[in-house]
Amino acid sequence: MEAFQYWLQGFSVATLPANLMFAFIGCVLGTLIGVLPGLGPAAGTAILIPITFNLDPIGAIIMLSAIYYGAMYGGTITSVLVNVPGEAASVITCLDGFQMAKQGRAGPALGIAAIGSFIGGTFATFALMVVSLPLATFALRFGPPEVFALLVVGLSLVTGLSGRSLLAALIMTFFGIMLAMIGMDPVRGAPRFTFGIAPLYDGVGFVPVVMGLFGVGEILVSMEKPVLEIIKTKLTDLLPNRKEWKVSTGAIGRGTIIGFFLGLIPGIGAIIPTFVAYVVEKKVSKHPEKFGTGVIEGVASPETANNSYANGAMIPLLTLGIPGSPTLAVIMGAFIIHGLTPGPFLFKERPDVVWGLIASLYLGNIMLLILNLPLVGFWAKLLEIRYQYLYPGILLFCILGAYSLNQSVFDVGVMVAFGVLGYIFRKLDWPLAPTILALILGPMMERALRTSLEISGGDMSILITRPISAILLIVAAIVLISPAVRGVAKRAGKD
Amino acid sequence: MKRKFFFGLAVVSMAALVVSAYAADYPTKPITLMIPYAAGGSTDVGGRIVAAIAEKMIGQPIVVVNKAGAGGQIGWTELARQKPDGYYIGYINLPHILTTVLDPERKAIFKAEDIVPIISQALDPTTVSVRPDSPWKTLKDLIDDAKKKPGQIPAGIVGYLQDDEIGYLQLAEAAGAEMRKVYFDSAAPAITALLGGHVEVLFCTVGDNYTQWKAGRIRMLTIMDKERAKFYPDLPTTAEVGYPTVLSASTRGIAAPKGVPEPIMKKLQEVFKKAMMTKDHVEKLEAAGQPVKILVGEDFVKYYWESYKVAKKWVEYVRGK
Amino acid sequence: MKRAWQITCLAFVALAVFTLVLSFEYPYMDRLGPGPGFFPFWLSLITGALSLALFFHTTLAKRVGYGSGTLLPDRLGALRIMIILVGLVGGLVIFETLGFRITLLLFLFFLPLALGVRNWWLTLIIATAGSFGVFHVFYYWLKLPLPIGVFGI
Repeated sequence: MEAFQYWLQGFSVATLPANLMFAFIGCVLGTLIGVLPGLGPAAGTAILIPITFNLDPIGAIIMLSAIYYGAMYGGTITSVLVNVPGEAASVITCLDGFQMAKQGRAGPALGIAAIGSFIGGTFATFALMVVSLPLATFALRFGPPEVFALLVVGLSLVTGLSGRSLLAALIMTFFGIMLAMIGMDPVRGAPRFTFGIAPLYDGVGFVPVVMGLFGVGEILVSMEKPVLEIIKTKLTDLLPNRKEWKVSTGAIGRGTIIGFFLGLIPGIGAIIPTFVAYVVEKKVSKHPEKFGTGVIEGVASPETANNSYANGAMIPLLTLGIPGSPTLAVIMGAFIIHGLTPGPFLFKERPDVVWGLIASLYLGNIMLLILNLPLVGFWAKLLEIRYQYLYPGILLFCILGAYSLNQSVFDVGVMVAFGVLGYIFRKLDWPLAPTILALILGPMMERALRTSLEISGGDMSILITRPISAILLIVAAIVLISPAVRGVAKRAGKD
Repeated sequence: MKRKFFFGLAVVSMAALVVSAYAADYPTKPITLMIPYAAGGSTDVGGRIVAAIAEKMIGQPIVVVNKAGAGGQIGWTELARQKPDGYYIGYINLPHILTTVLDPERKAIFKAEDIVPIISQALDPTTVSVRPDSPWKTLKDLIDDAKKKPGQIPAGIVGYLQDDEIGYLQLAEAAGAEMRKVYFDSAAPAITALLGGHVEVLFCTVGDNYTQWKAGRIRMLTIMDKERAKFYPDLPTTAEVGYPTVLSASTRGIAAPKGVPEPIMKKLQEVFKKAMMTKDHVEKLEAAGQPVKILVGEDFVKYYWESYKVAKKWVEYVRGK
Repeated sequence: MKRAWQITCLAFVALAVFTLVLSFEYPYMDRLGPGPGFFPFWLSLITGALSLALFFHTTLAKRVGYGSGTLLPDRLGALRIMIILVGLVGGLVIFETLGFRITLLLFLFFLPLALGVRNWWLTLIIATAGSFGVFHVFYYWLKLPLPIGVFGI
């Protein structure tokens, strides 16, 4: 019952007018930052840290956390409306979200995203209160070999994204991994495939590539036959209809669980939970072939997962002081600048900060919902701007976003180049998502594998002798082999 | 003859006047402070703290910019090629920047002479950290065990050919004990690995493990510094446990590209020294677990080149193998 | 479209060969296991094999399951695409020399006009708000560094 007392105390802190205001400002700023393509939550949060210098520590932390998950939602808005993911977590939402927008159903897409995010985030916050420490400690058992195995499972799920041709999807996956090889070798530090071009030392950069392939590519494709009649969205169409609600419930439920548990594993990154949730949803669906054409579960699932992940990832940060992602590292830096040390010590020394933050996360989720649902109409109306202004406008923000990463024109150039490639692949109907996924997972896999081998002294069997990684590898094998097996069984059944 | 002399004198005095007038005006626009690592890390935290204080003193905004990548190489390459007008300065970490330049495999396109140190902010010594339940209670326990099973104990190291690896190499050489090196490119995954039991011992700095130590999740065996650390008064130094030559630290400071006029350098040194010596700055840095160490101008330059010699020795040792 | 798929497959084969050759420059094995050359070597082999497989599958398969339409757009569409591309590449080239504000002003002004908008004044207003306005918000308020060109703008 002690926890309940703390919870109440936390709410009393969180509902102080000043703190409510900070949370609100954070949500607004975060959403705006997330909406901007390219300017991810990590950079955005870092930029806004100085604003918090003059605030008291609790207020500052509350505001920064609000910015963090506000940015998550903001990224969704651009994914749905213009196919440009705000950051990694929103990439999967583009697949069905944007298609829904093209059919005039941007409202329901954004709506279900807001609601799913709310439910996922709230659940994760609740779980944070109840089960933090033991879960986080268990998650520590995920060392490099387990992470490698998990990434292999992640990549194997590519088979769920294949669309028209499995071979094409596989080629695109390996293309992504090859792109990931450009730059400094993650272990030795020696540059690979850089041809002496300094900006390439750090690789091609995930953000310019994804903005190019998805965003710029999409704009180029649209240029062929720009929608000359504006897609009008009726106000009554702003929320999902009854059928859509029904299917979404399951998606939201599954997304919440998947996002939360993956959030506990440090260093996984936001794209994996969204991706896993999407593919799982597709596999349990009665109409998997419709995924990618604009089904609402394809939006509900990843969106719920990414908010549940974002809140779940707070757990290792608050309980163990381990930031699970770059954005959380920024938040941790902010903690430190304000003289607070995340970890169980903080729970004991300053319960007002920790529980105040937790309560504020609840309120923040509610605030985001209240903020964003009415705005859905506004965002949908934005799509009605004539394309001659709208697309250059979107490109303006893409250029801004790409440049802001490293203050380098090179990144903008990469974005344009991949825009052309994105156009070509869209016309060919080859899937783009596997490339993005591989681009992120590739380096992580290489690093995990090589660190695992360092731990074992060169012995590959470490991957199978440790129980968790062995299980995960078996899962990956099953996922990879099952489409082939099903194909053979179908043909055998026909004879 | 005389005419030439006076003419020369006139030119030189005009130049000096122009330069000092130029410096007297400096700065007339915002200054960029580049951090070669990702936001949220120790260098970034230290940089943002001092920038916020210094910009009030210098009268122009100091814009903090992150240029992360390649262990800092991306940022330093950028710093070296900037115009030396005093409007673009950046953080350097020793010995990281030196090993980057010296290591042939890194193919750095700038040289150690292309960067001129201005002032140092923190000197963060390497520690040998273990979990609280670890069987090794002293450094001697660890070394004895390592001699019994050479190359078997997984030892985490933060960064490649950086301070922590140099610390490990010095210890391995002095003690005659080899462990199994496991590399991590930043502190967070390294700490996670130690806590999760994937490595048994970790070579990292005070700034890296302070929060974990405060939480009671990490214990240390020794610190590689000449004196005991303010943060860990009970922790013996390497000298106290028999290895006085094993010294290693990560030093963070601000530098400029070569060629910045002397008056502007002096101004930068003054302002940052004042900023770093404020109570606010020292408190905030120490709250972050970073030991403040301010070396200004010539002192820092001397330290830079001394570290260069040490770095050279170890890079050749590692790459020579 | 079949032709387009075939060409793409061959392009990937070429990429695979190129990468394979380059991968020999990096050490295959390391002190502890796979070196920098390990992954590129295997990846290029696998990619090459997959691309060849798809090439033959496309060439020999009887049904056409490659999506309708052609790879290249019609005249008007191609023109619009070129306009955007020229705008983007042009913008890239002058971006650091002329600075963010001027580049985006030109970009936001000429693109809509090239794409068929007739209202010069509205376009000018929007272009100014977009370039100078956005710059102001990000450079001055959010302190995000953006390029200032040779004219000091």
